[in-house]
This record gives sequence, C-alpha cells and structure tokens, in this order.
Amino acid sequence: MPAAIELSGVSKSFGPVEALAPVDLCVERGEIVTILGPSGSGKTTVLRLVAGLERPTDGTVLVDGDPPATARAAKRVGFVPQTPALLPWRTVAANARLLLDVNRGDGARRDHHADPDELLAEVGLMPFRRSYPHELSGGMQQRVSLVRAMVLGSPLLLMDEPFASLDEITRADMRHLLTRLCEPRATTVLFVTHSIPEAVFLSDRVAVLSARPGRIVGIEPVPLPRPRRPELEDDPAFFAIETRLRALLHAGAGR
Amino acid sequence: MRAGRLILAPLLGLVAFVGLWELAVRALDIQPFILLAPSRIVEELGDRPAFYAGEMGVTARHAGIGMLIGLVVALVVGAALAASRLAEQAAQPVLILILVAPWVAYFTSIVVWLGPGDPPTYFLVAFVTLPAFVFATVVGLRSADPAAREVLASVDARAAEVLWRLRLPSAMPTIFATARFSVGLALAAAYYAEGGNFADRGLGAAGRRAAGVQNGPILWATVAGTVLLGMAGLVIITVVERVALRWHVSQRRAVTAVSWRAHRRSVS
Repeated sequence: MPAAIELSGVSKSFGPVEALAPVDLCVERGEIVTILGPSGSGKTTVLRLVAGLERPTDGTVLVDGDPPATARAAKRVGFVPQTPALLPWRTVAANARLLLDVNRGDGARRDHHADPDELLAEVGLMPFRRSYPHELSGGMQQRVSLVRAMVLGSPLLLMDEPFASLDEITRADMRHLLTRLCEPRATTVLFVTHSIPEAVFLSDRVAVLSARPGRIVGIEPVPLPRPRRPELEDDPAFFAIETRLRALLHAGAGR
Repeated sequence: MRAGRLILAPLLGLVAFVGLWELAVRALDIQPFILLAPSRIVEELGDRPAFYAGEMGVTARHAGIGMLIGLVVALVVGAALAASRLAEQAAQPVLILILVAPWVAYFTSIVVWLGPGDPPTYFLVAFVTLPAFVFATVVGLRSADPAAREVLASVDARAAEVLWRLRLPSAMPTIFATARFSVGLALAAAYYAEGGNFADRGLGAAGRRAAGVQNGPILWATVAGTVLLGMAGLVIITVVERVALRWHVSQRRAVTAVSWRAHRRSVS
C-alpha cells in the first residue's frame, strides 16, 4: 500500500526566490503529521504542493501513489485554508455542504461522504445552521471550514495554520476538537503551524523546517498516548517534547 | 425608523432644491423656454396626466430593458475578459471608445440598420451602459476570495462552477453599485434615442416635438418625467440590492448571533 503522502527531493522556487530546499517526507495512512517552522520557511508551500495547488520545481509529490491532481479530482483531499473562506451568501449549513454540491454529476465519491448535519452537531454549531457567516465569530467560522473539509469523508486532510488567527483559548479548544474529530476516523492529516503546543498535541510526528529556504531540520516522534486528552498539555512528557522541538527550531533558525 | 430616515432625508433635499428653483425663476423672471418654474411643470403634468404617464412608461421600458440587455452582455463579455489579462487590456480601448463616442454621430446609422422604433432604442441604451458593466464585472469577478477559490480547486471544481458559485456572487456588490450610476445614463440614452428613432413614443419624442415649436412647458415636463423615472429606478435598485445583498457588509451593521436581540431593541 502506498504511503498517503510521499515527497521525494521536492523543492520549490518562485522566480529567483528559493522557498523550499529539497525536502523528503513520508506520511503513512492514518498518521497525523505536523509541519512546524518559522514564518517564510515554506511550510505552507509544502501543503500547497501536496494539494496540487503548486507544482514542484524539482522532485515528485505523490498522494496515495498518484499525482495530487488525481487525488483532487477524486475528491480525496480535504483542504482547510488559513482563513475560513466561507461563502458569505450561504448559510452555515449550505457552506458545510458546498464541496458536495460541486461537481455533483461526477458520480464517484458520494457514498463515502459524511452527513453535514452530524458534523455540525459534533462541532457544536447546530443552533447556527441557518445563520450567515458574518453572524459568527472567527472560531465558529473556522469550525464550519473544518466541517466543510471533513464532509467529503476524504482520507486526507490538509490544514494550513487554520487556527492562526484565533486567540489562545479558542486555539486550545480547537485542537482538542480536531483530535476528537480525526482520531476515530483514522484520517491522515498534514497540518501546518508555527505553534509548538499545537504541533505536540495533535501529531504522531512533527517535521521541523528551517528558515528560508526551508529544509527539514529534524522529524520528532510524539509517542504520547491516544486518544489525546486536554490534560496531557500539563504532562512533563508533553513539555519535554516541546523543549526538543524548540531546540530544533532554534537550530533551523541558525541561532 | 430606518426606513423613515431613508425616505425623509432625500425628500427634504429635493424639497429644498425645488423651493430654491421656484424662487429663482420668479425673482429673476426667467423665460419659460430657458427654465420653467416647478409650479408650472407640475401644472403641465397635471393637465395631461394620462399622456405623461403613458410616455413615462415607454421610456421606462426602453431604459429598463436596454440596461438589462447591456448587463447580460456585459456578464458574458466580462467573464471572458476576467479570464485573460491580455484580452482585458486589448478590450479597454474599445470599451472607452463606446463610452465617449457621441451618440448623435452614429445613432442614425443604427436606425437605418435596425429600423425605426424600439430596436435601435434598446440597442443604444444597451450599448452605452455596456462599458461600465463590463468594468464592474471584471473587477467584481477578480475580487472573489482567493482562499475560497483554493478550496474549490482542492476538489477540482470546473471553471463554470467556480464562476457560478463563487465569482459571480462576489461580483454582485460592484455590479449593483454600477447599476446605480448607469440608470441616469440609460435614461439619457433612451430619451435621446426616442427623439431620433422615427417613432413617436416616449418622453424623448415628446420633448423633441416640444423643442421644435419652442413649447417650454411640455419640454420641461418631459425632463421632469425623466427625473422621476430616474429616482424610481434608484429606489428599485436599492430595494433589490437590500434583498440580494443582505449578506454583504454594505447592507448591515456588525452584529453577532448572540447580540442580535439587544441590537434590534437598540435601533428600533
């Protein structure tokens, strides 16, 4: 069985700017891997390469053994951007089912999809099904964005710093929610962040990128027990891993 | 209360303007053909209300349908131009040309081509409102949220779907704003065309006849009729906009789901 994501010698330049130095990364099915790095390290670029939104300058990107375009066409990728990007003229419920409505005539994936209402209930937004995005707070909008991606029932979730614009308290709530959603579904998740606690709480492994041009400084396993409970964040083992990641980040920043 | 303010303020402005106008005509003893006092205009309209209502209906039809045709064509052209910066830049001079070419120069040719009456009138109105709508469409389509575009790209949405589900709705605010400006232009074009399309219907035709015999009251009555149509058009667009764009930031004040009740109480 091919790995869920395979990056081999992948690099990306935008004109003269080398955003990503050659990177090798393998994400197995059902794994949750976080890419941790400072601003400008190319972590979003990695995600976009996997989503097929960019083409690598060098190297190959494979999703389930196929080029990203194939996975996208089969609706096997759930993408959560940095901003919620909800359609303001649609209600919460309509936004949640947006990706099901798109390309509806294309047969294939529909049987595997999740029930939007069920997911909305899981994230606590059922009372707001008929509200419009502008009536929701930032955290609530991000939750709808999450539901929108998960409704596809796709085996792969790509998340680009989705909690970056939220306050610390809401961020913590959101990562706890995310684990509750992803763990039972055994979804493969590639998550980009610059927050160390987020990386440790969510992942099975953390790939640390250096400053630009980004290269992988180290891949740190997170052997904490699953299911991850919020109390874990007070555990000394949690703190120890955070410390190791911080050291890797400093090494990558050349300090 | 808000609806009241919406109507009251413009009404007051209008009353002040008309009052000054009446005063000026009487005080400075201006000739009727140069500028007619509002009281005389109202008198003229009141003398033959059915006639003016009928002609206003014709002009409204010419302007309204012409503008709609212009809008529909602009949506198609705009969508094509938004896809290619090269095409957009190539089209710019053509659109400017349409905007600035004087109607009097080419309208007779249009009448010869399309025959007298409605067709050349609709054509002129559509033609002159086209450039503004095309600009609005192109800008509006490009203003679609790039993150939303990426979400749609992540499921390989076809270009037509992205256009229909994301980019056209995103263009609505710009298009409505342009529609407001285009109402005046559409009415001016309709008025002008009616004067020269060899049919005898519409405010423009009545105005042209009146100008020919230096009949001030009728001429200014047609002007007043056109102004009334313009105001009605703006009201209609505003009402439709309120409904169609109720999700847009321009149509609301900032309110969250939780504070809605408190907000309602405070503004009533």
